[in-house]
Amino acid sequence: MTEAIVSEPNLRDLTEEEFVERYGAGRFTCGVLANRGRYVAEHICTDLLHRAFSPIITFSQDFVGAIVGPPEQDYPLAAVNKGNVIFLGSLSTGVRNTVWEYGIERLEPGDLLICNDPFRVGNHVNDMCFIRPVFHAGEIVSFVVIRAHQLDIGGTVPGGFSLMKKNVYENGLVLGPQLIFHRDEPVKELMRTILDNTRFGETLLPDFHTIRSCCALGERLVQDSIERYGIEAYKGAIRYNTDASAASMRAAIASLPDGVYEGEDKVDSDGVDAEQEYRVHVSLTKRGERLEVDLSGSSPQSRTSLNATALDAQTAVALAVKLVLDPFSPFTSGIYRDIDVLVPTGSVIGAGPPAAVMFYFEIQSVLINAILRALEAPLGERAVAGAYGSTNLHTGEGLNPDGTPWFSAAELEAQYGAWGATDAGDGNNHSGLATLNMIMPSVEEIEPRVPAIILHREYLPDTAGAGTHRGGAGLMKQSLFLSDGDHYLVPLHFRSASGSGVYDGGDGRAGGSWFFEDESSDATTPVSEFRIPDPDDFDGSAVVSGVVDPSSGRLDPEGEFAFFGRHPIWSERRGSVLRWITNGGGGWGDPLKRDPEAVKRDVRDEYVSIDGARDDYGVVVSGDPDEDPEGLEVDLEATARCRREKSAERAPGQNVEGGR
Amino acid sequence: MSAPGQEHEHVSVERAAVEGACSECGESQLRRYPVLSEGGWYRVVKCESCLHSESREPDPVGPVVLASVVLV
Ligand SMILES: [Zn+2]
Repeated sequence: MTEAIVSEPNLRDLTEEEFVERYGAGRFTCGVLANRGRYVAEHICTDLLHRAFSPIITFSQDFVGAIVGPPEQDYPLAAVNKGNVIFLGSLSTGVRNTVWEYGIERLEPGDLLICNDPFRVGNHVNDMCFIRPVFHAGEIVSFVVIRAHQLDIGGTVPGGFSLMKKNVYENGLVLGPQLIFHRDEPVKELMRTILDNTRFGETLLPDFHTIRSCCALGERLVQDSIERYGIEAYKGAIRYNTDASAASMRAAIASLPDGVYEGEDKVDSDGVDAEQEYRVHVSLTKRGERLEVDLSGSSPQSRTSLNATALDAQTAVALAVKLVLDPFSPFTSGIYRDIDVLVPTGSVIGAGPPAAVMFYFEIQSVLINAILRALEAPLGERAVAGAYGSTNLHTGEGLNPDGTPWFSAAELEAQYGAWGATDAGDGNNHSGLATLNMIMPSVEEIEPRVPAIILHREYLPDTAGAGTHRGGAGLMKQSLFLSDGDHYLVPLHFRSASGSGVYDGGDGRAGGSWFFEDESSDATTPVSEFRIPDPDDFDGSAVVSGVVDPSSGRLDPEGEFAFFGRHPIWSERRGSVLRWITNGGGGWGDPLKRDPEAVKRDVRDEYVSIDGARDDYGVVVSGDPDEDPEGLEVDLEATARCRREKSAERAPGQNVEGGR
Repeated sequence: MSAPGQEHEHVSVERAAVEGACSECGESQLRRYPVLSEGGWYRVVKCESCLHSESREPDPVGPVVLASVVLV
């Protein structure tokens, strides 16, 4: 079968009669129904948020709710909640694949279909896709979908966040399309399979029941929409909604000059050795209203779980292109209409079985960075600088003093960090990656459950990329462990700066990770006697990752790369401290054009030192930011002189100082 | 599974040449390859010059071969 390729009318040019003819309802009704779809997705997620037991759902909010349209419209992603966007790009294809393979004719009211196979539905095996058909007059008219990270799905390491898993067999339980509830009753055979092969069943099981009831709520709300507005209007509004986001993206693509734009970024290692970096290369070809994104030239799939599938590549392309070109339209599958993504099979960004797919979000992150780099030139002042680059994931496990086990996943790393600056202003200091708009769990939530104390979270001066608009600042985070533990550490972007500056802005500084072990401590040492390293103290630390001066352990761009994988498991004693310094975000615009008052404010707030103000921004600030922060002054005359000298020092065509 | 990657190794999508000219721009630069777009995987024949699609055949599972394919 070959699809007819027809050009589409401009939605704004349709008369009201043409609009009703096309969508089965007027503009106003379609708008109401489109909004109502998003309300339904939001409502079911609020319900899940309130009732889930898993901390990664209820505290980190690692899930999404969605409405997928009917089969005769080819399963369009019609509406989503403001959840974790990492799931959005593969929902339409994931639901289509799952329903197609299971057999749509077998679905009955009250069924809940699942699949977690990355090669079928994208993301990783922990991310279970739950799909409930919505029936109207005996026909399936939509699907209510929840995609939610499960705390554990089996495999070699609790929680699954080990880079060292080498294939699907070590990775965790793979569940092809099948029912977990039939006519609203649990399918006990599958429940037993899951619970007998995973950890934390006491959390998983009640959450499965909650997710079923949330999807049932979604079905009732969709049926209510249909009762109020009629089935033709309901279906028409889904088509309108996807057509509207397709039109918005088409206009955004058209705004880019025709051309071929290339970029790349790398992951430090797959954990096996320090020699092999993993590259994602992107080539964007833009002609008129069409965009083709080719990932040829990327590295082969990795030897470990550092892999993403083609569906994850498509999601990352959508998020990156949306971020820079079309940030305000709702996310539907319509945004792909004029974007073709080419993914080399067997690459780290398009892995195939039996490769393990776990850290796909790290590969997506470098793909997004590669796209931001590729589009820097054609976007000009609309370019967006790079972010902190990696979630630096941590998993820890051990025994409490009373012999009970403890476990922590995705809580004590530096998962959040700096974003790059844009034409709109300075970069955020502490946000999730562009793929991962999750919530950082609070200290008060973590410390009662995990034998650890979060000691520091503070921004470090002169880590942000300099610019007319400054990048977000690098964050220093330290946690003290109150129990012996085995730690799995996955810092993947400390070898080079991830926060690329744009439009003449400087790069953010690359960070690192360290373990401090208190060798004098034992099981009885009081907490008050543990060594707590000051932020500027690196003595005796083991460098987990980063480019450092090997003699001091301090960050040094001319130094050597410390390879985190030399210890697949970091076994640390009670009293050890884990330190992170995240990468700074990139700057936007020439730093010599930053408002001197803004630089003074940065000195007061300790984002920039007095030396950094002079060296990176040409701004001469006097005073003492520690003792008299409000007494700082800018010497405007000296600043003008300093900026003139710095401008003159630049060779023609040379980029600005500040990290480059 | 691919062999472990080496320093400069990389993987690319093959674009097979197709006879004929583009019905939109007339250039003889048609190629066949798999893409992901709205609706999932397709086998497309596209013009390299203007990106016009001469044909787009839906391909539900795309180029990934599942272990359980033995069942089908
Ligand atoms: Zn052409």
